[in-house]
Amino acid sequence: MPSLRDVPFTQYALGNGLTVILSEEHSSPVTAVMVMYHAGSKNETPGRTGLAHLFEHLMFKGSLHVGDGEHFRLLQEIGASVNATTSEDRTNYFETVPSNYLELALYLESDRMGFLPGALDQAKLDNQRDVVRNERRQSYDNVPYGTAYEKSARAVYGGTHPYGWPVIGSMEDLGAATLEDALGFFRRYYAPGNACLVLAGDFAQDRASAWIETYFGTIPAGPRVPRLPAKQPELAEDVHLVHEEPVQLPRLFLTWPAAARGTREEALMDLFTTILTSGKSSRLYRPLVFGDQIAQAVNAWSDGKEIAGTVTIDATAKPGVGLGAIEARIQKVLDEILNNGVTDREIASAFNGKEAQLAAQRTTMLGVAGGLATAFTLSADTAAFNRELDRFSGVTREEITEEARRVFGGPRVALSIVPAGQRALASTARRSRDGGSAAP
Amino acid sequence: MTTARPDRSVRPGPLPLRAVTLPPVFRARLSNGLPVWIVEQHRAPQVVITAVMHCGALMDPPEKPGTATLTADLLDAGTEAHDALALSEGVEFLGASLTFRGGLDGAYGTLLTLSGHIGEAVPLFAEALSQLTTLMQQKDRPASVATTAFMRKIYPAGHPYGKDPAGTESSIAALTRNDIISFYGDHYGPGCTTLIVVGDVTPASVIPLLEHSLGRWPARARIAVEPPRPASVSPGIYLIDRPGAPQSEIRVGVPALPRNTPDFIPATVLNRVLGGQFSSRINMNLRERRGYTYGAHSSFVFLKQPGPFLVSGAFTVAATGEAAGEILAEVDAVYREGITAGELEFSRRGLIGAFAVSFETPFQIAAALQALPLYGLPDDYYDGFLKLLESVSLEDVAGVAARVLDPAGMSVVVAGEASRVRDGLAALGRGNVTMLGPDGGEIQQEVPTRVSG
Repeated sequence: MPSLRDVPFTQYALGNGLTVILSEEHSSPVTAVMVMYHAGSKNETPGRTGLAHLFEHLMFKGSLHVGDGEHFRLLQEIGASVNATTSEDRTNYFETVPSNYLELALYLESDRMGFLPGALDQAKLDNQRDVVRNERRQSYDNVPYGTAYEKSARAVYGGTHPYGWPVIGSMEDLGAATLEDALGFFRRYYAPGNACLVLAGDFAQDRASAWIETYFGTIPAGPRVPRLPAKQPELAEDVHLVHEEPVQLPRLFLTWPAAARGTREEALMDLFTTILTSGKSSRLYRPLVFGDQIAQAVNAWSDGKEIAGTVTIDATAKPGVGLGAIEARIQKVLDEILNNGVTDREIASAFNGKEAQLAAQRTTMLGVAGGLATAFTLSADTAAFNRELDRFSGVTREEITEEARRVFGGPRVALSIVPAGQRALASTARRSRDGGSAAP
Repeated sequence: MTTARPDRSVRPGPLPLRAVTLPPVFRARLSNGLPVWIVEQHRAPQVVITAVMHCGALMDPPEKPGTATLTADLLDAGTEAHDALALSEGVEFLGASLTFRGGLDGAYGTLLTLSGHIGEAVPLFAEALSQLTTLMQQKDRPASVATTAFMRKIYPAGHPYGKDPAGTESSIAALTRNDIISFYGDHYGPGCTTLIVVGDVTPASVIPLLEHSLGRWPARARIAVEPPRPASVSPGIYLIDRPGAPQSEIRVGVPALPRNTPDFIPATVLNRVLGGQFSSRINMNLRERRGYTYGAHSSFVFLKQPGPFLVSGAFTVAATGEAAGEILAEVDAVYREGITAGELEFSRRGLIGAFAVSFETPFQIAAALQALPLYGLPDDYYDGFLKLLESVSLEDVAGVAARVLDPAGMSVVVAGEASRVRDGLAALGRGNVTMLGPDGGEIQQEVPTRVSG
């Protein structure tokens, strides 16, 4: 039986510092190619936010030997799928190609790594800046609750913490970015030494390595970029925020500082939030949605990132219910768990869900490539991908409850999004805690 | 290391494509005759089991639309041993998922589980599939207004494809417990089901498990006789008023081909050129050249009986009439002249690549296999697929276009702001614009239309 621990890979570095990770698997004629740059919004500076994501767009606008939009078109024409994503920590570019087209994918990825500046001009920058500003309007500003995440993050982390601004950037910063800013970001962060190239699937290692040397090995090395040190947010006390929006129902977002990704503590919070809201009989779903019927929906998730993390619970009120009542009910459930702990069955169920999720990731070559690239980029430890389930194994009731006490006993940000003119529906509850002070 | 710089003016071409086929399928039967198809794939500890059954909305009793969909929905509403909550808890505890879904032609039950928990998951799946409770509850099924109306107008009254497979509010309200029990008894059983198992299993381990859970499922139900194929309907131009709609939803098309047609591959090649991908004729014209839309798309929906060919998209309000006209003009061009040799090559290359990447995951393999029993395709269907694709000729493509894509027979359905789009649609010169209600039914009152020119 395959386990989650035995994805094979080999890893080496080119002369210019590019890390290459190869994972061969021939069960279908598919190869996933991923380039991950260790650059995300946390590498930006206040006043120039949104550059990392803007670059994700510019990377499809052509390089010296590949025309505007051609990267996408050439790959789609051969039946490949293509995409890219940007987070706070990294930006990745990837395609799943019929395996006989691997060389084309390597050519295209290397051209934009090595030859983008020669094709980037003011017109393209202006054009994509407008596209991203529209994306910001369509996906965040004009979407119900669309800016809740960025408001909570700013309050939890503070405006100068690298996670304190949104990945998409602010409208002002997007407008202010110059061509020199964009090129400077590229030269600093899109160099081979700050990236990894991962191939997963159906290829012959010797031939793939030769192509990689040909297409990527000739790109000049760039500056070395030091890793940012871990930096926990310093939230001194509870914060209550209220925001009016054209929404139908009020929604509450509670956010606590928690552990960074890749840690045991983050795994504990991942399991714990599953116990809180996953499934109809979960701790928060059952009383809020099913029993008292005061909430329309409730979600909880752990959001561990490279240098810090958070845990969030959000709940949407039923019509006529205020968020104060919702928060009080959530707090009552949390208090009950922090006092009496979770059950072994709850831990086992959450663990099974995690194992299923990791298994599903490994059914696609893109999932394997993404897992290897992330482990290398964010942990500097590619083999951590094969140990992922270990972080979740052998969890005891005591261990998980203790971490829950540490996280949920601390200060948090409560953001109430309420319909315009209905501030009375917001939560302003003061919490009393052992040894803690009430909210201001 | 020093390496010569590559010549970047040359785009690397492909290597020869290695043979692409579905992994081998092991076929067996349980003692009650239930066919079981097994594909081993041991990349990850995951198994997908799909039961595909011949009881979609096509088999709805004529006066009771929605029966098939509701019956499928009710399968996870509980069993004799477990109520709905206990069943979902049992499945969730294992990290598994269990879904039942009714479609136009088939009904599908799908279990996804870790291979390590298959022994606990299969009995829950089997229980849900082979026992029906009588708890009535309905799930919300939002459907696109434009598509629902389109299907209603291109199929003759009474044909199941013209009805919303979820039924109407009143037809669902009229369904009784006995309707569901009797539909279940007639249509669910080993004689009209194929079990497809893909992933980290072996036949030796999974067959006894399935035999234990489903081997005694009574073999009463038989595959039902299909209703008659749809007669053709005279085309029309229809408008659903959506005051204030920021864009107009347009559907253009006609019933075209069934899934088991010999024209399947030529039609697929044709569609990729006409509107099946980003650089298709329709998208290049309406999006890139004219800027009427963020994206326009065409497809053949292949069903047991002739399913629709349709072009769809959301278009600028002011250009609604022009957009419908351009769609019809693009269809007319392939209807009259077929496609070019370059387009044929281009389309074929993309489809070969897409075929190569389409059997990667257990889900994809199970989805590909379920078409075979449902549409009566041969067991070795996918083995010959690439050869057929490679041998498609320009004449094959032109032939299918000439047979099924005559724009004169196509209906146009638009959901948009009537006061701003009606004149433009009337100017297409395809007759009067008929107003429809939000459910696609014709509105009786006379609506004046002005034909310009």
